[in-house]
Amino acid sequence: MTRYVIGRIGQALLVLWAAFTLSFILLQAMPGDAVLIKFLNPEFGLSADQVAEIRAAYAVDSSVVVQYGHTLVNFLQGDFGYSLQAGVPVSAQLATNLPPTLKLAGLGFLAATLLAVFIAFLSSMAPFAWLRNAIQSLPSLFISVPVFWLAIMLIQIFSFRFRLVSVINPGPWESLVLPVATLAVPIAAPLAQILIRNIDEIRTRPFVAVARAKGASETRLLWRHVARNAILPTLTIAGVLFGELIAGAVVTETVFGLNGIGGLTEKAVGNQDLSVLQAVVVISAAAFVTINLAVDLAYPLLDPRLRTGQGAAA
Amino acid sequence: MTRYRKLLSFSIGLLTATTLATASLAADAPVKGGTLVYLEQQAHTNLYPPAGGFYPNGGILNQITDKLTYQNPKTLEIEPWLAESWTVNDNATEYTFKLRPGVTFSDGTPVDAAAVAKNFDTYGLGNKELKQPVSEVVNNYDHSEVIDPLTVKFTFKKPSPGFLQGTSVIGSGIVSLSTLALPFEQLGDATKIIGSGPFVVNAETLGKSLDLKVREDYNWGPAKLEHQGRAYLDEINYIITAEDSVRIGALLAGQADFIRQIQAYDEGQVEAQSFTIYAPGTRGVNNSIVFRPDNPLVADLKVRKALSLAVNRDEILSTIFSKNYPKATSIIASTAIGYVAQEDKLGYDPEKAEALLDEAGFKLGADGIRAKDGQKLVLTSYESLPQPQSRAVLQLIAQQWSKLGVKLNVLAGDAGSKVVDELDPLKTPVAVAMVGRADPDVIKSQYYPTNRNVLVQKGGVSDKVKTFSDDRLNEILNEIASQPDREKRLKAVADAQAYVLDQAYAVPIFEEPQAYAGAPYVKGVAFEAVGRPAFYSTWLDK
Repeated sequence: MTRYVIGRIGQALLVLWAAFTLSFILLQAMPGDAVLIKFLNPEFGLSADQVAEIRAAYAVDSSVVVQYGHTLVNFLQGDFGYSLQAGVPVSAQLATNLPPTLKLAGLGFLAATLLAVFIAFLSSMAPFAWLRNAIQSLPSLFISVPVFWLAIMLIQIFSFRFRLVSVINPGPWESLVLPVATLAVPIAAPLAQILIRNIDEIRTRPFVAVARAKGASETRLLWRHVARNAILPTLTIAGVLFGELIAGAVVTETVFGLNGIGGLTEKAVGNQDLSVLQAVVVISAAAFVTINLAVDLAYPLLDPRLRTGQGAAA
Repeated sequence: MTRYRKLLSFSIGLLTATTLATASLAADAPVKGGTLVYLEQQAHTNLYPPAGGFYPNGGILNQITDKLTYQNPKTLEIEPWLAESWTVNDNATEYTFKLRPGVTFSDGTPVDAAAVAKNFDTYGLGNKELKQPVSEVVNNYDHSEVIDPLTVKFTFKKPSPGFLQGTSVIGSGIVSLSTLALPFEQLGDATKIIGSGPFVVNAETLGKSLDLKVREDYNWGPAKLEHQGRAYLDEINYIITAEDSVRIGALLAGQADFIRQIQAYDEGQVEAQSFTIYAPGTRGVNNSIVFRPDNPLVADLKVRKALSLAVNRDEILSTIFSKNYPKATSIIASTAIGYVAQEDKLGYDPEKAEALLDEAGFKLGADGIRAKDGQKLVLTSYESLPQPQSRAVLQLIAQQWSKLGVKLNVLAGDAGSKVVDELDPLKTPVAVAMVGRADPDVIKSQYYPTNRNVLVQKGGVSDKVKTFSDDRLNEILNEIASQPDREKRLKAVADAQAYVLDQAYAVPIFEEPQAYAGAPYVKGVAFEAVGRPAFYSTWLDK
């Protein structure tokens, strides 16, 4: 087990390095650079010589290898540099933007999970076929609703029309109600879909028939036998959905005027703000790796078959 | 008895009238206190004052910094502010300012000759070590000299008649020595910008909100303003709200008091609820499209003339904009200094346009696109994000040109591609251009090769230009920037307007305003000459 964990951590570090390097290469390949975008901006109205001087000061024209080495060394020391566009240290930007994103993503994910489980159980317990069909088509509906539209509708209805929550200067919890709801809907959709399919599939397995023959009630059957087996594939998808969460956060943050990694990334991409983008890429990669590691480590806890070496191999 | 009654009722009436008059007078007297909630579309970037041209930056800097002089937005005259008086020598190479005594920065240090000198040394020459760039509005700067603690003298290498107005603009806000001692890349932190303005930065959440607090001891507003002393508001709360519908909805629902950036198509719903639209003009070079004659497709004057004649301004304005967007009648706004109407050069005549293109040798091909020697008349332009509905305007122009057999591709593109491609006339024969500043220097800023160089002449930042350069134009622009005699300078401004349009280098479309909306109880909002809000005299009547 220890060897397994160490191996996985090694892999994770490799993934981080690859993410850093690839993003560096991709950003270098794009036309223009942050200094050009910032200082050729007509707001400054600088002359050719002045721009050349600034370029020299930022060493943007030095060789790619030198810049790569320089950035990598700084990163390893925890120095993310300065955002050229915003004029503040990247670490300060992360400090203000990371916690709200974690809070939004965490609560959004929690709400999505609850919603997905609710839909799946409801559909498997629905007494009529037409009702089951209706409930089972909810995930398709959810995934087709544009997040942007949903967010604006929620604001228009609950904030501007009924004035239940305030969007401008809200309280700490008030500020999360609508964004979490917005984020939960598209994330809940694939989770619910997979859960429903697994429940349906596992219900047809022989051990379920045996349990039923022994006299287990439908509820006990669902909770004790079916759900436990249906949860594993859902967990795998949950790890992958993290990316979706960040993507959804960009739109949610923009519409609700929240600060967070999503908005920060969007602005940095627009301005090719290299140091910010690199930091975001590395942090997102780290989060991805950690979540997937956690998911992998959680399997044996949920499924006794995976606890022994042989069981996992089989 | 009847007479007595009449008298009585008359007196009562009079009494009521007087009381009412007093009451309404009282309501008009500014009230101190309250917080203004201001919704801004974009987060501020670097707050180094010369970067104040970006509207979100200007909206903040205008409240926390003061300028040496104040440009009266109505008369455009330069009036005293931090400088009590000034003298300029005959050829505009030496400016001496006498400072107002007793002014302090919010960190307690004095606004004295040494501090002011350091400010303009930085804005005029830049600071290489700290990576602080020079300011666009300070040209030909040589050095400063502290004559006594309240007198400072600036010397220029060449006549710089635009400098006096340059001291009044947003980019010339005076900041403390401690702010100027910071490297450029740290000046995006608003709490580090120490000015002497009526408000002080209290707290900031990067990219989300900014709180300003009134300075109780502020007593040095522009000398000729009626309002003196501290600002009426206690606080201003800036909140970044990127989404248009949320800003407008929040304003109408009473969650905010004042918002920036409202599109013409949203004006109706705001005015319908008796909220106020503010659309101050920017008094500079009009929102225009410009040609890059280094590109052979638009090198011929006849082609440019034809394209200019084929633009139907009235259709653009009535389809996309509102009454707050006046039609352009020259390359600069009708409220700009030195404006001369050029309507005769800005007609709409599609038939003449077709004839000119035929003359120039561009014949209609089978595919409906004109071509000459196998070269199709297909042009490209990037949309300009800061300009209102730039994409819609370009697309409408593309439609108008397509009737002539000319194709215009409108690109969105990322910032990097846009910056690189806009330096290459072959890639972008057409571009969108606009700049606001209430001094004739703005025309030079826009067209001169070593400034914004919108026509992409040789001698600028671009190394892609083969031959194009217009000496006559540059000569006029130099005259504007360095002619100390006011009359002669205005003559050059008139020449520039006529020349640019005679050469059909630019097709001005409309006078670009900055659009804001406010709740009915927000009173006394003022705007500097280029449309940035000043909340010094603002108060809340609620």
